[in-house]
Amino acid sequence: MTLLVQQLVLGLLIGGVYVAVAIGFSLVWGVLNIVNLAHGGLVIIGAYLTWLLFSAFNVDPFLSIPIVAAALFVIGYVVQRLLINRVIRAPIFFTLLLTFGVNLVIINVLLLLFKSDFRSVTPSYSGSGLSLGGVQLPYIRVAGLAVALLLAGAVALFLARSRIGGAIQAVGADRDAAQLVGVDLRHVYALTFGIGAACAGVAGGLISTAQAITPSAGEPYTLQAFVVVILGGLGRVSATVVGGLLFGVVETLAQTMVPGLGAGWANAIAFAILVVVLAVRPRGLMGRPV
Amino acid sequence: MPDSQPSGSFSTRPDAGGRRLRRVLLAVFALAVLLVLIAPLSTSDQADALGLPVLVDKSQIRILTTIAMFVVMATAWNLVGGLTGYGAFGNVAFFGLGAYACAVLVDPHKFHLPMLAGIALAPLVPIAFAVFVGLPLLRLRSHYFSIATLGTAVAVGEVVKNVEYLGGANGLFPPIVRRGDLLFLYLMVAAAAIAVGSVYLVLRSRFGYGLIAIRENEDAAAVLGVNTTLYKVAAFALAAGLTGLAGAVFAVWNSFINQELGFSLDFNIQMILMAVVGGAGTLFGPVLGAILLELLLQALAGQGTVAVYAQIGLGLLLAVTVIFVPRGLVDFFGGSSRLSLGYLRRTLRETSV
Repeated sequence: MTLLVQQLVLGLLIGGVYVAVAIGFSLVWGVLNIVNLAHGGLVIIGAYLTWLLFSAFNVDPFLSIPIVAAALFVIGYVVQRLLINRVIRAPIFFTLLLTFGVNLVIINVLLLLFKSDFRSVTPSYSGSGLSLGGVQLPYIRVAGLAVALLLAGAVALFLARSRIGGAIQAVGADRDAAQLVGVDLRHVYALTFGIGAACAGVAGGLISTAQAITPSAGEPYTLQAFVVVILGGLGRVSATVVGGLLFGVVETLAQTMVPGLGAGWANAIAFAILVVVLAVRPRGLMGRPV
Repeated sequence: MPDSQPSGSFSTRPDAGGRRLRRVLLAVFALAVLLVLIAPLSTSDQADALGLPVLVDKSQIRILTTIAMFVVMATAWNLVGGLTGYGAFGNVAFFGLGAYACAVLVDPHKFHLPMLAGIALAPLVPIAFAVFVGLPLLRLRSHYFSIATLGTAVAVGEVVKNVEYLGGANGLFPPIVRRGDLLFLYLMVAAAAIAVGSVYLVLRSRFGYGLIAIRENEDAAAVLGVNTTLYKVAAFALAAGLTGLAGAVFAVWNSFINQELGFSLDFNIQMILMAVVGGAGTLFGPVLGAILLELLLQALAGQGTVAVYAQIGLGLLLAVTVIFVPRGLVDFFGGSSRLSLGYLRRTLRETSV
């Protein structure tokens, strides 16, 4: 019983990382209609920036989150403005190819800069945790979940309350109508992608504290973000939160409680979920009808 | 969204420049045939036996075989991605399944079939798989289809890796065929001819027009009486069979197959890139793309830092192609457009926001 509770809690905590990874991905997909295959690459840039700040200046990974987010926002804004805006009216498959290319460049530039050595961010409190009735709660993971939920709240609030958030939602609802009422599409697209990248940077910071990072460590996260968005549904931040936490729990339980499955099956489990959801309920648990 | 429909940007209509295209491609094919014909004078033992100088060495035969392999895969991808307009992103699953099926069929401890029988039967496995997953997956559109196919490819690879009968993480080792370089070149070229021939026939058939109708407007096609489900699954299965054929030849040629080779995400993206660079939706675009890109990849091939720069170059090439020449190179050779600053500016403006 304790084992089950432990795995449930662990699943929720791991789900926090998935929430953080998927928020930006979901925003970019929902508003720009782009499935950003470079999302994992952006996440890992965030992780390396956190590592740089930690190893060079001894900045706590959680304190460096705003700096990393700001840096990633700039990168995201530039990538969208210079590259992706150029193919936004092309068939959808082309944006997939373009972002795949961007991802390839990101990974290999990181390889040139940092080599393929494993890097990790280990503040003094990593490895320690809280024990509640036999259930272990690692501090790093708990803080990660808290940051992810704060990020989700901040993005939801920004979209609902700010003027720019309104413009972003308007563009997502009807691009041409938004342009007619005076929204600068290029700028809003770039802003949206920049915010998505900033969220990816936050997620990267969380990931750097929880696992060792390499230039290609972001790959699984793109696919997992996709599964989370499909599972929760597109178009709402709350759907991403539910999808991320649920995915964390299902993945953890499947790996630890089902005999014969283990860590080697992570991708297969994710895509089993993906295919089942797409076949049974394509709009996800709480998404808008497709 | 008004532009979420794949537009008619992949034109297949023959026009005034068609003759120039045919001439260029005839030259390319003549060159390819010539290379294949002189190949027997290549490997040192055969040249020695005939008392002739070596014209092509083994590594060049290997490159030719690889090019033929990608011609098969890019051409097969074109059936689904180019003609039908469904952005398949996981065709490497068919390659891996064909390779593994062939390796199991020829394995002396398993089915122990002759090599050619193994190669001929192996594509049935990816075909069956394509029908099985195609029925649910082809109901999805745009992103959903693309990522679901990518997910399927990754998941199948992972399952294969975890199955003991298929050698697990070690993979399978089909018997080595000695002095088989030329044999495999001919086999792969034959597979390429089958692939290009299939697409040629499809393009001239009711089936092909149905696929193009689906690409241009699926609902309208259905209204006009195209059995869209049947057509889409048939195109998917044909692509799977062709890609699986390439995989089957690859397995015996390489005499080793594991998850990383069979379900290589590099192969997965390269075949798509080749088709798009050459010209998706055209007959010879993927062929041209496969030849040019594989030569480029071979020229850039290397270890360590060189390989990293090559990957960066590939990423940039992808970006430049998608942004500036989305219709592919065949568009220029075909004479439908001239490569000029004006052309680049026009393609840029058409798709920019």
